[in-house]
Amino acid sequence: MKNSDKINIKRRNFLGKGALLGGVSLAGMFFGGTASAKAQTAILKKKRGEKPYELNNAENIIYSSCLNCNTGCGMKVKIQDGVLSKIDGNPYSPFTMVPHIDYKNSIDDAAKIDGGLCPKGQAGVQIAYDPYRIRQVLKRDGKRGENKWKSVPFDQAITEITEGGNLFAHVPGEENRYVEGLRSIRALKDNDVASAMAKDVDGIFNEKDKTKKKELVEAFKVTYAADLDKLIDPNHPDLGPKNNQFVMAWGRLKNGRKDFFNRLGAAFGTTNLHGHTTVCQGSLYFTCKGISEQYIGAKFTEGQKFYWQTDIESAEYILFVGSNVLEANYGPTNRTVRLMNNLEKGTTKIGVVDPRFSKAASKAKTWLPIKPGEDGALALAIVQWMIDNNRYDSKFLKSANKAAAKEAGEASWSNATWLVEITEKGPGKLVRATDLGIKAAEKRVVDDPKDKTKEINYTEDFFTVMVNGKPMWVDPNDEDEAVYGDLFIDTTIKNKDGKDVRVKSGMQILKESANEKSFAEWCNLAGISQDAAVEVATDLTSHGKKASVDLHRGVAQHTNGFYNVYCWMAVNMLIGSFDWAGGLSAGATYKYDGSNDGVFDLKKQSGKVKAFGISSIRHEVDYEKSTLFAGYPAKRNWYPLSSDMYQEIIPSIGDAYPYGVKALFMYMGAPTYALPAGQTNIEVLSDVNKLPLFFTSDILVGTTSMYSDYIFPDLSYLERWEFQGNHFNNIYKIETVRQPAISPIPETVKIYGEEMPISLEALFMGINEKLGLKAFGKDALGSGLHINRPEDLYLRGVANLGTSENGGVPMASKAEQEAFSKARRHLDKSVFDEDKWKKIVGKENWAQVVYVLNRGGRFQEHSKGLSGKMLANKYGKLLNLYQEKTASKKYSGTGKSYYGYPKYVPLAQFDGKPLDKLADGYDLTLITHRTITQTKSRTNGAYWLTAIEPDNGIIISNQDAYRLGLKAGDMVKVVSATNKEGIYDLKHGNTKEMIGKVIPTEGIRPGVISFTLGFGNWASGAADMLINGEVVVGDERRGKGIMANAAMWTDPSLNNNTCLVDPVGGSVSFYDTKVNLVKV
Amino acid sequence: MDKNKKEETLLTKNLSRKSFLVTAGVAGIGVLVAAEAATKSRLVPPVEIPTGETTIIKIDDFKTVKIDSKSDILIRMQVELKKALTKPVEQRKWKMMIDTRKCVGCHACTVSCIAENKLPQGVIYRPVTTIEMGTYPNLKMKFLPQPCMQCDTPSCVPVCPVNATGKRPDGIINIDYDVCIGCGNCIEACPYKHRSMDTGTNYCDETPSVQPYELLPNHEYGKDWTREGEFSATEGSARKCTFCLHRLEVGELPQCVTTCIGRATYFGDINDPNSLIAEMAAKPNQMKLLEDKGTNPTVTYLM
Repeated sequence: MKNSDKINIKRRNFLGKGALLGGVSLAGMFFGGTASAKAQTAILKKKRGEKPYELNNAENIIYSSCLNCNTGCGMKVKIQDGVLSKIDGNPYSPFTMVPHIDYKNSIDDAAKIDGGLCPKGQAGVQIAYDPYRIRQVLKRDGKRGENKWKSVPFDQAITEITEGGNLFAHVPGEENRYVEGLRSIRALKDNDVASAMAKDVDGIFNEKDKTKKKELVEAFKVTYAADLDKLIDPNHPDLGPKNNQFVMAWGRLKNGRKDFFNRLGAAFGTTNLHGHTTVCQGSLYFTCKGISEQYIGAKFTEGQKFYWQTDIESAEYILFVGSNVLEANYGPTNRTVRLMNNLEKGTTKIGVVDPRFSKAASKAKTWLPIKPGEDGALALAIVQWMIDNNRYDSKFLKSANKAAAKEAGEASWSNATWLVEITEKGPGKLVRATDLGIKAAEKRVVDDPKDKTKEINYTEDFFTVMVNGKPMWVDPNDEDEAVYGDLFIDTTIKNKDGKDVRVKSGMQILKESANEKSFAEWCNLAGISQDAAVEVATDLTSHGKKASVDLHRGVAQHTNGFYNVYCWMAVNMLIGSFDWAGGLSAGATYKYDGSNDGVFDLKKQSGKVKAFGISSIRHEVDYEKSTLFAGYPAKRNWYPLSSDMYQEIIPSIGDAYPYGVKALFMYMGAPTYALPAGQTNIEVLSDVNKLPLFFTSDILVGTTSMYSDYIFPDLSYLERWEFQGNHFNNIYKIETVRQPAISPIPETVKIYGEEMPISLEALFMGINEKLGLKAFGKDALGSGLHINRPEDLYLRGVANLGTSENGGVPMASKAEQEAFSKARRHLDKSVFDEDKWKKIVGKENWAQVVYVLNRGGRFQEHSKGLSGKMLANKYGKLLNLYQEKTASKKYSGTGKSYYGYPKYVPLAQFDGKPLDKLADGYDLTLITHRTITQTKSRTNGAYWLTAIEPDNGIIISNQDAYRLGLKAGDMVKVVSATNKEGIYDLKHGNTKEMIGKVIPTEGIRPGVISFTLGFGNWASGAADMLINGEVVVGDERRGKGIMANAAMWTDPSLNNNTCLVDPVGGSVSFYDTKVNLVKV
Repeated sequence: MDKNKKEETLLTKNLSRKSFLVTAGVAGIGVLVAAEAATKSRLVPPVEIPTGETTIIKIDDFKTVKIDSKSDILIRMQVELKKALTKPVEQRKWKMMIDTRKCVGCHACTVSCIAENKLPQGVIYRPVTTIEMGTYPNLKMKFLPQPCMQCDTPSCVPVCPVNATGKRPDGIINIDYDVCIGCGNCIEACPYKHRSMDTGTNYCDETPSVQPYELLPNHEYGKDWTREGEFSATEGSARKCTFCLHRLEVGELPQCVTTCIGRATYFGDINDPNSLIAEMAAKPNQMKLLEDKGTNPTVTYLM
């Protein structure tokens, strides 16, 4: 039998089962004709009929938001004969045109204008229509990871998950295994008890005295004697209730769907809702969170989990560091168009710091092929040069409060001049005016930033600066009295008791940090010529406010990521281009959640159970405060400043530290594939004793969902809702709305009596309904405001966008409303029911809702992006060059204090030991990079993309290849000290070897090798599966090339079950491993 | 398989599927027609391309979108395109220029083109090549998108035994898929290798099922290439870039132009001296591919 015949037979056998998209008759799934267009003028005079062009007709177009990477460009989805035919850029969106067309332009004009879009965006068609898409709930019909499945009814799956039982008695070895369901895991249901416990646990936390802490624990046990059975461990009440043993995790999650997570989490009463930030560029986020902490109510709070990026459109000089701007980096479509226009005009020049000669490097004035992990050295070399040569914005840096910033024509100000107390341990607390007795403390009241209806009463004791050599108090938020501090202070002053206090300004501390080594030594460490470093330092300081450093994950994904970012951000603070046109942008969004005068308050929720206790990944909590404190190193790392440590979720479950987890839900995540040393996650996931219940939501049987007990089919981004938001580099205020553009692929189910496709929302609503929670259902958003369908939340979010801020958007005309309906005639009633939709938002809001949806979101006009020489949407707040809060925290691996200032930190393990031992005998530094055609784990099924770039390989310098006797096309295996076999152990005898072809090039720093992410997939349609007794043959095109993350070092001080981590910013280490290549 | 054998197979394949659809309908002969006879029946004069007044196309101006010097060049080029359409076809001359300094080798054009023209697996109208030059650390990288060059002296046209391909008055080289017999002569003749054979293969052929986007008809040449059952109407034909002629005639730019994230592709009527394309064509830093072949390509590059 020919192979193709075999496949055909399998395909036919499979048709009746219907579990996959490939198994259903497609004919019945699509309907709705195409809006008629005028016949085309004859191009060829011939018999064959004319085909009028219907794709530029507003009635065949739905605007939505791409998600083939996280940039979320506005997209224009064109429908032909009820089928998704073509995706282009939405011309209303600033991501796809420069300038984008005005928001008030007609939809008929817009229909005829296609904006740009990158190849991944184009290939969204194949993400939606993927023959391996799942349509029914799959339940494990073999051991975890065996890839044997049977489809089960949605209701059955929900019941099994909530009620538990001997769910896998049909699987050998699990005959007697009882699985605890969510109902029983949710032990603590009384919110009053939970709230009281949470308060008392806070008390235990904040008690510094060991003995008293113990007494408080004993008292707690007495107070809550009746409810101790609901705690994970009554002797450690700070672990919280058993509810925490349900962990909800996600890969790519955007607003709207995030509300679904938050609501179910809050109703369930678990503190464990964890994202994936640290696998991307976590430490970039968390350094900038530290920089953006605000001094409110006498403490540093409200730091934003975000970062700044360059406003390319107006920039004159940009230094891209570790940011692959033309292929990734938020993102190709929106940044490339601006950059290439300006480079061609000659108005912008760029420098690129990257060990690999990237496409961006090919367009750069200067390419600096840095040694991986030495970003801090290069940044401090530049800081040193800037200070030595007086090439910094002293006016900006001297401005010590808001009033000074205003006077200086700035929007933001820094604490560069504030005085820091220096002890034998180094820089510590900021000096308060009350310490020096130069200003009396004041009782003040301020709005609670977390809840505007509340106020905080506090005592303000003010900071200090030196003004012409004299100590002076400063109120950072004062808008009236400008204070300008002296920049470089290193002196001893008397405190109020007459004792000598050694103080330095933040600038002084930075200067000393930058002077720890000579310029030549820094450059040598970074592997960069001094001439090149001087050139970029000169360029950075020759364009006033139109210059900046644009950072991304190349800087952040090291064990020293937090401080690498900090050092580069110090360069940005010396330049001082925050909020300036051509400088650094923070981004801005319209509010969908009602928090800015919206008509619906989407945060409203009753029936919550106060979540408390240490999270399963120990985030935003001090090890020293916990009752688990047992000296250094801690058993695993604690992250007092960071959150969403993706790499911690599953290994922490494996180690049952701080506690065991009973159920894990993972949405749109592939940690086994995406994480460095992701194979360690497979060890835990495939062990039913370590993780009793594991269920996932996925559109395919993916590299991680294949290890789950149940996979719930999900909607692709072309079938669903979300609020994509904005990104920092886009200076226009926007909110891009994702909305169903095609009918759902999964089957539909009934929840709350409403028909809807199986999806993340249906899953959560189903659990909520079964458990009798109030996150969704009747009155979920307040009296009369139900969430019985996903649209109940999403459409109200759209109504908020449409109606808020300056009266909202215009009303859609009658004609526009008609076009709106016609453009959705192909949508199944389970996702589009106009009468229902009108009822949800109310007649009075409908025309504005239509206006927003007809444009795919709300977008500020191009002409409003700038206000004078500044960005219209500003950060406009305090910037912490010195981070007091950071300095107050400790490494849980060593007990040493974090540094509160930019500092060169060498690469290290969690326990502080250097990496030399791991490196011994291995001499190539392994890094990774992105190609524009792939997004890590989720684009391998886009055949248009794999047709162009079918696989990847190991990129190695010609010099190294010659030394190792390798030539182009040779196949090599990647091995390291912690993966000597060079394999992924997928379990049950399946392995995936890390073998790839050699691609020698001049375009990479000798000693460094790289591979593009996105290839070497072992699931997601790449592998054979058994579903309902039938073999579904995998497609080898989906698994070509190499994924070498498993070669990345595991940390010996973390039981070798986790990759190396940045203990401060939480990032995983992607670029620090030394490997060898073995010819096969 | 040797070349003759390959051609024969393609010819037979083509006939078995197309004879019923076209020949039978037109000539009134049966399905089981001899290959020779079928070939002869196609030896017809070149397909007539309409010219003159009937080819004037008036498309409404944008009603609300304003055009000024700061507009995205996509808008400017589209406005100029509509202006060109108000002239008879023989007075327009479509030209494409690619600025290699602005191209970032992203392949958005390649994929957009596949999607727009519903290209089968194995057919790519606009590949992009990456060229790396130099020695570490003094390197250069160039990207070269390569659509059909729409040559003024094409080598593909004269070799067609059945007059299925020709040069239109507006400069575009067209193929009539109903006439093409899939002999492959033109594919061999093109020095740029920018023609390829449509073997009718779908991207999802070897998967659980062919997907709906693969079954949609394309709009090439404004004609209805609706599939007949499981067969594509263009299978067995030579395929190549058409400059998205079907889009041009409704006032839309070629997809490779609109989707370009570097705005590296310029397009327009070179006969309009005020157009952006004319402005670009006046620049000194131009290059043509394989100039020595004497094909006089319409597509040129800025270096």
